[in-house]
Amino acid sequence: MPRRAPRLRRAVQAEWTKLRTVPSLPWLLAVAVGLTVLGSAGALASVDTSQCPAPSECFEDTTKLSLTGIWLGQAAVVVLGVLAMGSEYGTGTIGSTLAATPSRRLVLLAKAVAVSAVALVAGVLGVLGSLAAGRAILPGNGFTSANGYEPLSLADGPTLRAAAGTVLYLGLVALLSLGVATAVRDTAGAITGVLLLLYAFPIVAGLVSDPAWQRRLARYGPMEAGLSIQNTTRLDDLPIAPWPGLGVLATYAGVALLSGLMLFQVRDA
Amino acid sequence: MPTTTDPETDRRAEAGTHDRFGRLVLAEWTKLRTVPRWIMTLAAVVGLMALAALIDTSDQGGDVAEGEPLQEPGFTDNFHFVHQPLTGDGTIVAHVVSQEDSHEWAKAGLMVKARLEVGAPYAAVLVTPDHGVRMQWGFEHDVAGSENGAAPRWLRLTRSGDVVTGYESADARNWQQVGEVDLDDLPSTVEVGLFVASPDAVVIKRQYGSNFVNETPTRGEAVFDNVSVEADGSSPSPADGEWSDYDSADEPDFGGSSTESDGVFTVMGSGDIAEVRRPFGDDLVELSLSGAAVGMLAAAALGALFMTAEFKRGMIRTTFAASPGRGRVLAAKAIVLGGATFAAGLVASVIAFLVSEATLRHTSRDPGLPELSLANLTVLRAVVGTAVLIALVAVLSLAVATIVRHTALAIPLVVLPLLVPSLVEGGLPLSVENWLTRLTPAAGFAVQQTITRYDTAIAPLVGLGVLAAYVAVALAVATLLLRRRDA
Repeated sequence: MPRRAPRLRRAVQAEWTKLRTVPSLPWLLAVAVGLTVLGSAGALASVDTSQCPAPSECFEDTTKLSLTGIWLGQAAVVVLGVLAMGSEYGTGTIGSTLAATPSRRLVLLAKAVAVSAVALVAGVLGVLGSLAAGRAILPGNGFTSANGYEPLSLADGPTLRAAAGTVLYLGLVALLSLGVATAVRDTAGAITGVLLLLYAFPIVAGLVSDPAWQRRLARYGPMEAGLSIQNTTRLDDLPIAPWPGLGVLATYAGVALLSGLMLFQVRDA
Repeated sequence: MPTTTDPETDRRAEAGTHDRFGRLVLAEWTKLRTVPRWIMTLAAVVGLMALAALIDTSDQGGDVAEGEPLQEPGFTDNFHFVHQPLTGDGTIVAHVVSQEDSHEWAKAGLMVKARLEVGAPYAAVLVTPDHGVRMQWGFEHDVAGSENGAAPRWLRLTRSGDVVTGYESADARNWQQVGEVDLDDLPSTVEVGLFVASPDAVVIKRQYGSNFVNETPTRGEAVFDNVSVEADGSSPSPADGEWSDYDSADEPDFGGSSTESDGVFTVMGSGDIAEVRRPFGDDLVELSLSGAAVGMLAAAALGALFMTAEFKRGMIRTTFAASPGRGRVLAAKAIVLGGATFAAGLVASVIAFLVSEATLRHTSRDPGLPELSLANLTVLRAVVGTAVLIALVAVLSLAVATIVRHTALAIPLVVLPLLVPSLVEGGLPLSVENWLTRLTPAAGFAVQQTITRYDTAIAPLVGLGVLAAYVAVALAVATLLLRRRDA
C-alpha cells in the first residue's frame, strides 16, 4: 500500500508526458475552449428581450444561456478522451505502456487522471470565457438590472454551481470517452459511440410523442441529465435536479470506465 | 480439363484492359466488402434507423383527445363576402383602393361563387400585401399575376358559361389576363362580389428559454370603389342589384362587416380561402425517418474509415502505386462508398417507414391518421431522399477524412454540424435556428419533410442541395490535397 502512491505518481507522470507531447493536444484544448466560448457567444447574441412579450417577462436563465457553447466544446473533449486510449491501440504503443506499467488498473487510473485534468482545464477556461461573453453581451440585448436580470457573477450561488458543474461535466465526458475507448479498443468506434450517446440520443428521445416519456428519457440521457447542472431558475420544473443529473452522467462514466477496465484486464493488449 | 470460355471472365478481362476506372471501382468495392466491421457498420445503419422509427412512432399513451381527428378537412373557406346574384354570363369590375397589411397573404378582391356555402366552387382574382395579384380557385390552385400588383389595383372577373377569367389593370384601360379556369357545372345563377380574408398569424414569443408559438386570428380591411356588375347582353340580371353580406369566419369574435357610402365599399374580414395548411401538424413521414440522425453517424464513421484505414496501414501507397491517378482513386472510393451507403440507407429508410406505419396504425388512437404509402410521390421523395442523405454524409466524411487524415477528427467534424441544429431546437429564437439549418449541412435533413410547418426552414430539395454543395466542395479540396501531399 505505501508503495502504491509513488507508482501511481510515476504512472500519471508517464501518461501526462504522453498526453502533453501529442502534437494535437494544444489544438484540441484550443478547439474545446474556442468552440465553447464561440458557441456561447453565438447563443447569447441571438437572444434579445425584444423577442419576449415584455423585457421583464423573458424569464430567461441567463447563466444557462451563457453556457450553451458546451454543446460544441464537449466534442473536442470526447476526441481527447478517446485518443488517450484509442491512439495506443492504433499505433501499438499499448504494448510498451503495459511493459512499463504492468498493472492495467494503474494504467487506466493514470490515464483517467491525466485526461480529466486536461478536460477540467479546458472546462475552466471555456466556462470563464463563456461567462465573460455573457457579461459583455447580455446587457446590450436588454438583459439589464433594470429589467430584472442581474449581471452574471460567480458570487451568486446557483451561477457558481452551474459554472463549477459545467467544468465537472467536461471532466466526466472525458472519463466516459476514455472508458468507452478502453472497452472497444477502436478510435472510430469509440468516437461514434460517444457522439451517439451524447448527441443523437437526445434527438431521437426528443421526438417521442408522449411528454411523460420525453421527461423520462431526458432524465436518463447522459447529456441532458448532465447539463441539468446549468440551470439556475425554475429548478422544480426540471426532469432531473442539477446534482442528481450530473450523477447520471457520472454513472455513465463510471460504468464505461469499469467495463473498460474489466475488458482491459481480461483481454490481450 | 478443357478450357472453358466463360463469357463473364472474358468480359472482365476486356473491361480490365479498356476500363481502368471500372477496375479501380471494383478494387475499392472489394476493400469495402471484405472488412467484416464495415459491413456490420452498414447493417448498423439499418438497425439503428428501424429502432428509432419504432421508438418515435409508438404512441406511448399520448394525450390525443378521444375522437378528435388531427386531420382537418382539406380546405378552409372563411371570408367576408359582399355579394349579389348574377344570372348567366357577366362581368364584375372593381378598383381596390387600399388594403390593410394585416397578413402577408391577406386577400381582397372579386369572387364568383357557385353557392353561399362553405366548400362551394369559386374563382377569385385578388390582391395581397406581399404576394401581388393572384387568381385562385378550387382551394388549391393559385396563379400569380403581376408581382408588385398590391393595392391600388383594378380587378375584373368575367363569367362565360363555366369559364371564369380574371384580369388586372393599373388604370382600368389596359387589362392583363391573370388566369382562366373552367369550373364544372357552375349554376346559371352565381353569387358575385367583393371579398376580404386575412389568415391567422403565427406569433412566436420567447419565454423561459424556449419559443412559445401561437396562432392568432387577424382581420383584414380593404376599400373598393368603382364597383360594377354587368350581365351580358340578352341574359337578364339585376345589374345594380342589392348587395348583401355573407360571412363565414369561424372565429366568432373575428366576423367581418362592410359599409358602403357613395359607391365606396369598406370591407373587413378574417380567415382564409385555401388548402388547409397545418402549421403545427406532425410530419409523420419525417418522424418515421428520424432515425437518420443516428444512422448517418454509422455512415459517417464508415466514410472516414474507408480513407483513414488506408493512411494508417500505409496501404494508400500500394493503392497509389497500383493507380497513380489520385483523383480517380478518390472518385472510385466515393462511388463505391456512396453506392453502398445509399443501398443500406434505402433499405433502412424503407424498413423504418414501413415499421413506423405499422406501429402508428397499431398503437395510435388518432382516428384521423392520414393514409401514407410509398406509392405517394411525396413520401417516396422523403424515403429515397433519406437514403441519398445518408450516402452524402458518408461521402462528406470520406472527403473530410482525406483532408484531415485522422478518423478521430473527421467524424466529429462531419457529425457535429449535422446534429447541433436539431439539438438546439427550441432553445434559440426560431429565426436563428432556421438560419443554422439553412447554412449547415444539416439542411439535408429537409428532404424528409412532407408538410410545410411554421418552422420549416428550407424546401426539401434545396436543403439536400446545400448538403450536396458541402460534399462537392469537400471533395474538391480533398482531391487537391491528395494530389499535393505525400501519401
